[in-house]
Amino acid sequence: MGQKGFFTDTTLCIGCKACEVACKQWNRLPADGYQMTGHSYDNTTALSSTTWRHVAFVEQKRSVDGKTSLADRPGTAGYEGGIGDLNGKTVNWLMMSDVCKHCTHAGCMEACPTGAIIRNEFGDVYVQPDICNGCGYCVPSCPFGVIGRNEETGNAAKCTLCYDRQKYGIEPACAKACPTDSIVFGDLDELKEKAKQRVTTLRERNVPTAYLYGVDEDTSVGDLNAFFLLTERPSVYNLPERPHLPQNNVLPGFVASAITATFLTLATAISLWRGR
Amino acid sequence: MNNHHDQQAQNAGGIATLLQPARRGTLSATDQPRIGEQWTGQPETYYNLPLLKKAHWGWEIITYFFLGGVGGGSYLAATLADFFGLKRDQPLVRAGRYLSLACMLASPIFLIMDLGRPERFHHMLRILKFRSAMSLGSWGITFFGLCCGLTAAHQMAKDGLLNWFPFMARTMRALPVKAIESIGALFGLFVASYTGVLLSSTAVPIWARAKHLLGPLFLTSGLSTGLSALSLILSLGRFKGQHDTLERLDRAEMITTTTELGLIVTLIPILGPLAKPLFRGKTGILFTIGTIGGGLLSPLLLKLGWRMNKKATSRSLTISASLLTLIGGVILRAVWILAGRISADNPRDIHYYNALERP
Repeated sequence: MGQKGFFTDTTLCIGCKACEVACKQWNRLPADGYQMTGHSYDNTTALSSTTWRHVAFVEQKRSVDGKTSLADRPGTAGYEGGIGDLNGKTVNWLMMSDVCKHCTHAGCMEACPTGAIIRNEFGDVYVQPDICNGCGYCVPSCPFGVIGRNEETGNAAKCTLCYDRQKYGIEPACAKACPTDSIVFGDLDELKEKAKQRVTTLRERNVPTAYLYGVDEDTSVGDLNAFFLLTERPSVYNLPERPHLPQNNVLPGFVASAITATFLTLATAISLWRGR
Repeated sequence: MNNHHDQQAQNAGGIATLLQPARRGTLSATDQPRIGEQWTGQPETYYNLPLLKKAHWGWEIITYFFLGGVGGGSYLAATLADFFGLKRDQPLVRAGRYLSLACMLASPIFLIMDLGRPERFHHMLRILKFRSAMSLGSWGITFFGLCCGLTAAHQMAKDGLLNWFPFMARTMRALPVKAIESIGALFGLFVASYTGVLLSSTAVPIWARAKHLLGPLFLTSGLSTGLSALSLILSLGRFKGQHDTLERLDRAEMITTTTELGLIVTLIPILGPLAKPLFRGKTGILFTIGTIGGGLLSPLLLKLGWRMNKKATSRSLTISASLLTLIGGVILRAVWILAGRISADNPRDIHYYNALERP
């Protein structure tokens, strides 16, 4: 097919954040935050208009009774069991380099009223910065919470999958910088093949919870051109477990509005009518 | 070692097989839960951090939502009154035409102010994208604005306001105004409703879950506030002459208000736990006391009470009821924008909503 994308294997990630740095350097993005969040080593917190690669960290401990304990994390009080016994480890430290998913059916692209967001010749979802007028409608339309609006430039911005580097036949900055090849760039069909083999290998090596997120999906968002290998359920990494394409709500909304409009017009007409 | 399962067998045992240690050599890479399948148990959160990004919209958009509704609603009322052709309804027709023009002149100002790059506002008209409620809406307000302009210009010509420019006066008087009104009314109904569809066509749970109701709700509120604005304007003028017109406007307002209450009641079971921002906290107070109590129940009960006592509608009653409805309408728009922020910030809401809907 010739479409290219990312395969991010979280089991190889060492949390070095070279991807974050390379991305910011190549795309000349400003530093942001300077905050120590206390959420393990995650100080970027989320993707934004100026952070296009974000490394997430989740520390999982096994409690005294042998069950998985996530009691340190708010909102998980009383959580029991889950994914077996942390694969035999006493602690599990999940690291994942999050990025724009470049969805097959992209909520941001379908929402964009100016046509700024397009799918380029490499199959990636790209925001044309000279067309975007900053309406911000793409921002709540992304089911993954990826794209943001830059309050200083006024434009919406996100990962471009290094469109400019791809045009010269070189791989994106994050893939280039990743020391463990947790982030791999290439032909999507080849990547998916490799990824499936990797899942099989991991399961043979006593990581039974390995799976692919964004491959062979039956959701309205479709397959993700930047897909992941995860070992916990998606919500652990702040990913939606069943993402929806929001634009599927457009037609039902207008049909319901049309019915209401018909009723209200008749009702108003009858009310205003005065027989002679 | 790779075992080959055929597609039918791949999900045998389902997700439960993943919760046990792998049986060596018996799982293939296709044995995985797709996103479309249900994960068992409660979803996690990532430090309770938001999963989505909220819209930046603030008072400019709240104001525009309100004005768009009043514009569409008042244009519809003026059109219907014009078609019925009663002489004593002429002030209603005039007020409706001028009010809708005022609303559609002011609306783009607030929309453009809200843009991150206001100077590129015209980029909205580069394309027409049927899957984008904002693209449809941009074209909708363009055409509705045009119809409002032509209809109001015709009215101005009839009222002698264009006599300083005789050519314009003649041309505007000669416009096929009933045809323009028919088309304009349709666009007006669209403009009053599409903003609700726009909100519900996002990933924000409280908005998206209400996809069948937000468009209708905003439309009903738009008509209600449009009618109330017209009642207010007519009441501030020569009251006695408008008595009959106001009586009939009243009827329409009561039907619209009741419809709006019905839609809100329907929302509650559909939203379920997602409705918390509407009924808890500051937004909850605004919604229950501001919109439901003050903007809907109060004017409705006032009018019903007055009618049951068979008293003639008084000027102060009409003015009070109209103001209550108008303020309630502003609060309604504000609450939905604020509730959307709260909903987008809550990761549990997203997982709850995603699990409910078909993928």
